[in-house]
Amino acid sequence: MRLCTMSRLEKKQPARCTDLPLKNADICSKLKILKQLLKSCYGPTGRLKQIHNNIGGQVVTTSTSVVLLPTLSSTEPFINLIRTSIINHISRFSDCGLFAGILCLSLIEEAQLSSLRKDVCQKVNKYLLGLCTSYLQQEDCACKVKVDFNSSHCLIRLAHGVISSKPACVLRESEILHITRLIVQGFLLTVPCDKPGAVKLGRIVTLAVEGLPVMDSTIFPGLLLETPDLSLHLTGLLNCGQLRTIIFTASLAGDLSELGEGTIVVHKGMDVEVQILDQLLKIGEKVVKDEVKLFMCQKVIHPVLQQYLRYHGIVVIERLGINLLEPVIQLTGAQPVATLHSIPPRAYGKVKEITIRQFGSKIMLHLVPTEETAICTLILCHRNETMLNELKVACEKAQHVLRLTLRDQFAVYGAGCSETHLAAYIRYKSKTIDLDTATMFGCMQTEYVLAAEGFCRSLESVTAALDHNGGSSLIDLTHAHHWTLPTDMTTDEMDRTLGLCRCGVVQYCKDYKWSFLNTKYTEFSPAAVSGEADVLDSFTAKVNGLQVAVETANLALDVQYIIQDTN
Amino acid sequence: MKILEVMAASSVLNQRQHVGLQTLSALSGITTQFLGPTKTYKIIQDDATGESALVSSCYRVLENLELTCAVGQLVYETVGAHHRIYKTGSGCLLFMAGAWSRVALECLHRGIPIAHIISAMSEGMDICLSVCKLCSIPNKELYSTPKAQPNESIVKDSASHQLSSNKNQRKLKLSRHFQQPNCENISMIPNLNSENQNLTAIARTLSHGYSEAMDLVIKASQIQSEKDLTFDIDKISTCLLPCSAEIWNCVLPGCIVPVCPEKALIARNLEKQDLKVALIDGHLTSTYRHLGYNKPKGLQHVSEVSSSDNHEEEWLECIVRLILNLEVNLLLISGIADGKLKDHFWKHNILVVEKMKLSVLKTFAMSTGTILVSYATQLNSKCIGTGVTVNIWKDLSNFANKSNHESFLNLSTIEKGGLVTVVLSSWIQGKLQSEEDAFLACAYRLHWALKDKSLLPGAGVTEMYCIHQLQKQALLYASGHKSVPPINPGTAAGPYTGVVLQLMADGFIDFVMNVMVNTGKYSKVQARTVVVEQLHGLDGSVNSAKMDQIRLKDHQMDSHYGESMICDNLTLKQEVWRKALDLVFLILQTDAEIITGVDQKQLEQRDLIIL
Repeated sequence: MRLCTMSRLEKKQPARCTDLPLKNADICSKLKILKQLLKSCYGPTGRLKQIHNNIGGQVVTTSTSVVLLPTLSSTEPFINLIRTSIINHISRFSDCGLFAGILCLSLIEEAQLSSLRKDVCQKVNKYLLGLCTSYLQQEDCACKVKVDFNSSHCLIRLAHGVISSKPACVLRESEILHITRLIVQGFLLTVPCDKPGAVKLGRIVTLAVEGLPVMDSTIFPGLLLETPDLSLHLTGLLNCGQLRTIIFTASLAGDLSELGEGTIVVHKGMDVEVQILDQLLKIGEKVVKDEVKLFMCQKVIHPVLQQYLRYHGIVVIERLGINLLEPVIQLTGAQPVATLHSIPPRAYGKVKEITIRQFGSKIMLHLVPTEETAICTLILCHRNETMLNELKVACEKAQHVLRLTLRDQFAVYGAGCSETHLAAYIRYKSKTIDLDTATMFGCMQTEYVLAAEGFCRSLESVTAALDHNGGSSLIDLTHAHHWTLPTDMTTDEMDRTLGLCRCGVVQYCKDYKWSFLNTKYTEFSPAAVSGEADVLDSFTAKVNGLQVAVETANLALDVQYIIQDTN
Repeated sequence: MKILEVMAASSVLNQRQHVGLQTLSALSGITTQFLGPTKTYKIIQDDATGESALVSSCYRVLENLELTCAVGQLVYETVGAHHRIYKTGSGCLLFMAGAWSRVALECLHRGIPIAHIISAMSEGMDICLSVCKLCSIPNKELYSTPKAQPNESIVKDSASHQLSSNKNQRKLKLSRHFQQPNCENISMIPNLNSENQNLTAIARTLSHGYSEAMDLVIKASQIQSEKDLTFDIDKISTCLLPCSAEIWNCVLPGCIVPVCPEKALIARNLEKQDLKVALIDGHLTSTYRHLGYNKPKGLQHVSEVSSSDNHEEEWLECIVRLILNLEVNLLLISGIADGKLKDHFWKHNILVVEKMKLSVLKTFAMSTGTILVSYATQLNSKCIGTGVTVNIWKDLSNFANKSNHESFLNLSTIEKGGLVTVVLSSWIQGKLQSEEDAFLACAYRLHWALKDKSLLPGAGVTEMYCIHQLQKQALLYASGHKSVPPINPGTAAGPYTGVVLQLMADGFIDFVMNVMVNTGKYSKVQARTVVVEQLHGLDGSVNSAKMDQIRLKDHQMDSHYGESMICDNLTLKQEVWRKALDLVFLILQTDAEIITGVDQKQLEQRDLIIL
């Protein structure tokens, strides 16, 4: 007899439909909160957020979009639409997440504030996005620089920009420089040189060590593996020429866990465990015969096999984990073995030497590759976990930004200078727009100017979001770069207080004319400037961030109804 | 559902108040009573369960409190991480975090932008760290040059003024701390070498009111370092003995394990023998499998003839045979052993000690050449070690003890293994934790002192120099900040730096005053007067020559208590200050809390903004 559970019938709830979400007061206020939240996190002096679950979970302190945005899920699908689109951008480019978010929300707000039809705003936004991207792609674009791989300056400034804009890392200037140098060094190590054929980039494996000073952070070519019980088993260390290596991905725990579901029927007198152990020991015999010196397994190794291998002078590392598997394979050149039955001859890889290194309480095995393999290990140290976690995220971001330079060999001026510059460029271009172009958008010339002004203000509002200390933002009317006048300074003291623009490429000059940010100025063609900037942003991430912001804003402006299935 | 709470930050900041910093400041109140050498206990009572805990350190208070607010948790995380590494200094950490959070609050109140507060406080920290560098005394100097010998604290220094009329009283008060240990040392180890004396000299300066605990540390180090000057903190374990007199506190080579009377009987038979030992990391049962082994789910056994399940019997026989063949007398295991197996072993006079700490097993493995295995079946002649002895350290069978662990065995190696056990006892069970904490605090202070190879003048002297330097730099800024070269050229000296440095100095004054008040010899007002007087005495710059002068001056004042110098740990102090400032910076820069996963009920209760 079978027992039937009674199915519970519940009346289906009707779907909830929201008409014109941008006219909805609740949604608008939520958009405002989100914008305020993102703005407050932006830049090197941005404010931090404490994220926790209020029931004793870990407290995360951050201002990084990578950490922040996933936690901000809303009850409102409209908010999540925007959020998801920014998260997608971050997952591809790491950097410029807050930039894209603030710009997108500003564009939506500007469109709401203006009395223009939504489709005009959308068309103009799209047109101006095209204008910006084609300007940025131009050879003579005045707000980008070519990354010179012959010197480390550009790379250091790019990485520095990322690290220094994360105040939750609580780093001093000297510490920022130290970390920046390590990241650039790591980046250079992961680019293989003199290798014919397809180039495969290496990897930086990051190991975090809590409790040591930041200045103890360091980078090693090769891999460092945390291994417990090192002192017990590694009496004689191996550094004699090439050490034959084997890697298992199959579990060597001696169980049947990898057989999956189903029942196995065995004869009473047969001991499955003993049989598997015999099989494991056969592997042991084989590798001993083949003179393997380093035996690694992604999963657990049976203690008896471990004992056997160690007895024969083999270094045993178990529980590598899935994350380290790929780097280990790349480093040793071994082919991972997934069965217990046979070891093909080409499975073996090699390691030059193994040494022990200690960081704080952690003891690690250092596997040194036989040749340049573009794998390196970054040891990150910081005084506490909160700051270390943020530093880890920042370093990953910086590594990604450096990698992007291999795709587009450019960087844009940072610290808000390229945004003000782009705004000035658009204003100048819009002045000369003719009637035909305006009719192309189905609007009058004045309407076009209004929409373009909204776009420029949105760009400038991102720059303005950099300031959290009540200083005033200025732009010079020659290069249209971003300057900051401290709170307690008047415009008379400008020559003394303004030395360089925020990105550091333009020097103060008496003849410059000035305008406060977000006030009207006569259009001009922003002039190019030469020199080395202190703050650089990723070109690729910024261009894509710009596109994502404008397209998301246009999509949001397009939404007529939100239909929510509440069942 | 995830909900966002914005701590109404902008409105709060407009009133020049910061909820996070205020919380931090309030939390730091916990620690005021725990500063300084005089320790007081606090009782934490849980009204819901009626349970209570006796605590005497900042870390233990935090551990026993349920801190649900974000700042509270951040504090607990920071203090916890610090305690794991240093075992001491958490009180100072929280106090300074509180003091400096008040500095930041005051700065906000005066309208100083956050970026300026941060850069100025960082500069202040640089000043303090450079003072530490200047003040640090190399360990060698502690016992080699006479001029560096006594560095009196301001606390004691002025105490001598007060009490000079009644020297007898003072002697009586301090004699136990300063005279008894010396006599004991001489009686215990007659031929002390000079290095041991050095280590003792360093340790003495670091007792900070726990002189009994430090005596135990010194004894432990002497047991460890008969051959060379080392103090290996990893090989020191503690054994807590509840419901017994404190006179039983002692230090023994090897480890102490509680056992039942039957095992004590076996141990008695094995006493004074060189034992053959096997070490097992795991349980000694037929069903035990190593970590990471998954028991097969879908395994069915079929057989033609019905046979009784004698698998366990077979296993038992096999193990007993194996152990007997290998002539093992002593089995140390990290897990538990099968009951029947234990009976077999009892018959054969084989001692099994269960629930051993893995770290202790590893130490035994290292010092005897034994190989640690997971299964008894792995044992072979190459895994077995020799050179271990067992003796019954204490037989408590006469005492009405609830547990059946009535005897304590002392397991040690004949060759020096460095393993040392410190036995701590108390009639009051609740006090044992505090006793262990005190011992570990002392042990770690000595450990870090040897690692640093130098010490800081203690009892507030370093802090006084910091106050002095901060005030001096603040004055320079106040007199015309534009010409002042900042200590660190990297930090931009804003117009507010002077104010912030002065406030930071006030934070240290708070600290020193609190330590003085806690000694019970001063009122708050008196303490302040003494601090101000002392500060006037410190004109000129801090350099080593100046430091020596101060030391000499103190030396003359208190020459007959020359050995009573008080020191602090260098790295520890720097780390504590840095971590305190990190906390303040993190909280100062935070303007909102984001709470994930709040339910509808909480929503109504609190003023949250939902995203």
